[in-house]
Amino acid sequence: MLNKLAFAGVKSRLKDYVVLFFGLIMSSAIFYMFESLATNKAFIKANAQQITGANFIFLFGAILLTIITLVYVFYANSFLMSMRRHDYGLFMMLGAKQSKIGQLILVETMAIGTIASVIGTIIGWGFTASVGPFLMSRMIGNKLQHFNAFYVPAIVTTIVLYLILFLIAGIINRLALTKTSVLQLLKGDSQPNRPVLKPVSQLLQVVVGVLLLMLGYYAMSHVEKFALSTIPIGLVTIVLGTYFLFNAIFVWLILLLKRSGWASLGLRNFTLSQLSFRLHNYTKILSVVSILIALSLGAITVGIGMQKQVTALSTASEAYTMAIKNPSRHTNHLIDKLTLDTKVTYQQKETSKIIYYRADQFKDRPLEFTGFQSPLNSKQKNRLASPTYQNLTSTQLTQHPEKLMALQPNAPQKPFRLVSRTTFNKLPVHAQRLTLFRVKNLQADKTDLKHIVTSMGNPAVDTVPGAYGTFVLATAMFGGLEFMGFFLGIAFLAMLASCLMFKILSGAATDKRRYEMLNKIGARPSRLRASIAREILVLFVLPAIVGVVHVLFGLLMFKVLMLNPYYQIWLPFTIFFVLYMIYYIITVRLYEHIVLPKLRIDN
Amino acid sequence: MTMTPVVSVRDLHKTYGKTGQKQYEALKGISFDVETDEFVGIMGASGSGKTTLLNILATLDAPTSGEVEINQQVLANLKGNQIADFRAKQVGFIFQDFNLLENLTNYENIALPLSLQNISRKKAQPEVQRIAKQLNIESLLEKYPTEISGGQKQRVAAARALVSHPAILFGDEPTGALDSNSARDLLEMLNTINHDQQVPILLVTHDPFSASYCQRILFIKDGKIGQEIKKGTHTRQQFYQAILDTLGTFD
Repeated sequence: MLNKLAFAGVKSRLKDYVVLFFGLIMSSAIFYMFESLATNKAFIKANAQQITGANFIFLFGAILLTIITLVYVFYANSFLMSMRRHDYGLFMMLGAKQSKIGQLILVETMAIGTIASVIGTIIGWGFTASVGPFLMSRMIGNKLQHFNAFYVPAIVTTIVLYLILFLIAGIINRLALTKTSVLQLLKGDSQPNRPVLKPVSQLLQVVVGVLLLMLGYYAMSHVEKFALSTIPIGLVTIVLGTYFLFNAIFVWLILLLKRSGWASLGLRNFTLSQLSFRLHNYTKILSVVSILIALSLGAITVGIGMQKQVTALSTASEAYTMAIKNPSRHTNHLIDKLTLDTKVTYQQKETSKIIYYRADQFKDRPLEFTGFQSPLNSKQKNRLASPTYQNLTSTQLTQHPEKLMALQPNAPQKPFRLVSRTTFNKLPVHAQRLTLFRVKNLQADKTDLKHIVTSMGNPAVDTVPGAYGTFVLATAMFGGLEFMGFFLGIAFLAMLASCLMFKILSGAATDKRRYEMLNKIGARPSRLRASIAREILVLFVLPAIVGVVHVLFGLLMFKVLMLNPYYQIWLPFTIFFVLYMIYYIITVRLYEHIVLPKLRIDN
Repeated sequence: MTMTPVVSVRDLHKTYGKTGQKQYEALKGISFDVETDEFVGIMGASGSGKTTLLNILATLDAPTSGEVEINQQVLANLKGNQIADFRAKQVGFIFQDFNLLENLTNYENIALPLSLQNISRKKAQPEVQRIAKQLNIESLLEKYPTEISGGQKQRVAAARALVSHPAILFGDEPTGALDSNSARDLLEMLNTINHDQQVPILLVTHDPFSASYCQRILFIKDGKIGQEIKKGTHTRQQFYQAILDTLGTFD
C-alpha cells in the first residue's frame, strides 16, 4: 500500500522529478567527464610533455568539484524532501511507523541517486568521447594520444562518490524527518518570521561586513605582499563579509523600499514581502552562490585569459616567428602563403668556430628586435599588447650579439662576425641561407606554421628559434590551466545555478497557497507572473552582482601571473551570464508551473 | 420591487469530466436573483453543489451552460484580465480559512485589493482606516495575521473584501473555523454592513445558526434548488427554528 502511495506521489509531480533527475544526471555526467580526463593515467603519461603539472592541477580541480557536488546533492535532496514531506506526513498519519518511513526515505534517496549516477556516467562517457578530445586538443594545441573515454577507475569513482553522497543525504533527510511532527509535515512551514529592523546589530554587521570585504580585497590586490596567505585571508574575509552584507544590507533595503510610495502599487509590496520573507532563509545560500559565482567566473576568465596570454607572450618574446636555415623551395612556398608582416633572408657561412654574415645585408635589412624582457614590469606589459619592433644598427648588433645568436638554428651559442661582401665571398665555405619571417597573427596562422615545421622534416619545435616555438611550448603549458579553468568554471556554474534553483523551488510548495489567494482576490495572472519573475530575478541578480565585484577584485591576484587579467573580460562574462540567464528562465518557468493556479476560466 | 437584481443566475449547469469519460453533473439548472440590499443564504449538504456554485459566481470557475450576471455584467463575456479585474473590483470574498497572506501585515492585506487597482498609498490609506474603524480592527493593523485570533483574522479578511466597495460580498462558510462567540460577532457585523451600507451578501453555509442571520435561504440538493424560505417578519430565533425544521424534512 505504501509503495502504491509513494508511486502515486511521484506520478503527480513527474515534471519536478524530471528536473531533479536531469540536474543530478548532468552533475554526475560532468563529474565523470572530469574524472575520466583528469585521472586517466595512460592519457596523462602519454601527454606528460603537454600537460605540465597536470596531476597537481587536476587533483586540485577534483577536490573543488567534489566539494561543490556535495553542496549540490544536498540542495537537490532538500528539493526532493520538499516534494515528499506531505506524503510522508500522510503516511505517518495513516499509521506508518517512523522506522518504516525512514526506510522509505533511504530507499527512495538511494534509488534516485543510483539511477541518476549510472545514467549520468553513461552520458558523461558519451560527452567525453565526443567533445573531450576536441576540447583538449583545441586547448593544448596537439593531437592527444592514448585517449579513451571509457575509463573504469573514473566510472567507479563517480558512482561510488555519488552513492556515498546520497547515503549521507538520505541519512540526513531521515534524521530531519523523524524530528518533525506529523502536523508540521502536513502543513509545511507556513509560520512567517516577522522581519524586524535591529538598527544597532545591523549597522554593526554592515560595518564588519564592509571592513572584512575591504580587507579581503586589499589582500588580493597586494598579492605580492601577502604571497601564499592571500588565498586563506581572501577566502575567510570575503565569505564572512558577504554573509554579513546579505544579512544586514539587503533586508534593510527591502524594508526601506516597502515604506516608499513605489511599493504601494500592484503586487510590488507583495513581491517585496516575499523577498524579505525569503532573504532571511536565503542569506546562507545567496552568500554561497555569490562566492561560487566569483570562483567559476574567475576560473573561466583566468582560463580564457591564459590562452590570450600565450599568444601575446610568445608574439612578444621574439621579433620573428621562425628562423629557418636553408628552407627548401616547398618550405619557402609555404612561408609566402602566410599573412606575413616581414620576411628576410641573410646569407651565412659557418665554420667550426664561427658564423659569418654579410654586413651589407644587415645594413639593407637591419635585424629587428622587440626589447621584451620581463612580463612583470608594468611598462613592458603595455608594450606586450601590441609589440613594437625596432631595427638594430650594426653597432647595437655588436653590443648585443645574443639577439642574432638566438636566431641561429641548432647553434644558439655560436659567435658570429659581420664581414664585407668581398671577405664573405672569399671564405672557402659553402654559403647558406638564414630565413627569418614574422606573421601578423600567431594564433590565426598556427595550422599553417605547423605545416612549415612538417615540411622541414618535423624537427622538435624547441629547436626552431622564434616566437612559434615559444607559442607551442606555452600553449601546452597553459593549455592545461585553460582547460581546467574553463571546465571547472562551467561545472561550478551549472551546479551553483541548480543549487539556487532547487532552493527556490523547494519553497514553491508553501508559496502555492499565497498565489491561490492572490488569484482569488483578483490579481491578474500577468501580474502574478511578473511578481514571480521579479522575485526570482532579485534572488539571481543579488549574488551575481556581489560575485562580479568579488571577481573584479579577485582577478588582481593574477596580475603577478598574467599580463592583463582583465583583457577581453567581456567574453567570459558574456558566456557566464548567458548560461546563468538560461537557468533563471528555467527556474521561473518551473516555479510558475508549481505555484500558479490552473483555472480553466483564465485560459 | 423594480430594482435590477445585483446577481442574476439563469439555468446554470456544471458538468465535470471530459466528454466520453465518466461525467458528473454538479449543477443541474439553477436560477435565482439577489437584490441589492439582500442577505441571502445558500444551504445544502456536502456535495450538493454549493461550492461549485460559489466558485462560478466568483469567476473562479466557468459554467458548462447557463448565464450569470453580476452588477449588470455577464460573466461569460469577460476575457483574460477582465476576469481578474472583475474579482478585484466587483466581488468581495471571505473564506473559511481566511486566506490572508501571512507575509503581509494586516494593513497591507487590507490595502492589497486597492494596490491591485493601482490606487496610490495616499488615496488608499483613508479607505483602509475607514473600513478598519468600521470593523473595529484599527489596533490590529500593524500586526501580522499569525499574531491575531481567528475571529480577528476573519474581520481583517472582511475588511479586505469590503475595502474596494464591491457590488456583492460572498461568504464561503466564513464562520466554519470560528468559535461560537467569534462566529456570532462576525455574523452581527455582516448584518450591520448589509443593513447600514446596503451591501448585498451571499453566504454559503451548512450551519443553521449562521443561516439564521439571512433574510432568505435557498436549499440546494443534488445540484438543484429544492426549497426556499424567507425570514419575513419572524425573529431570528423563529427563523432558526424554521431552518432546522426545513433541514429535517429536506434530507
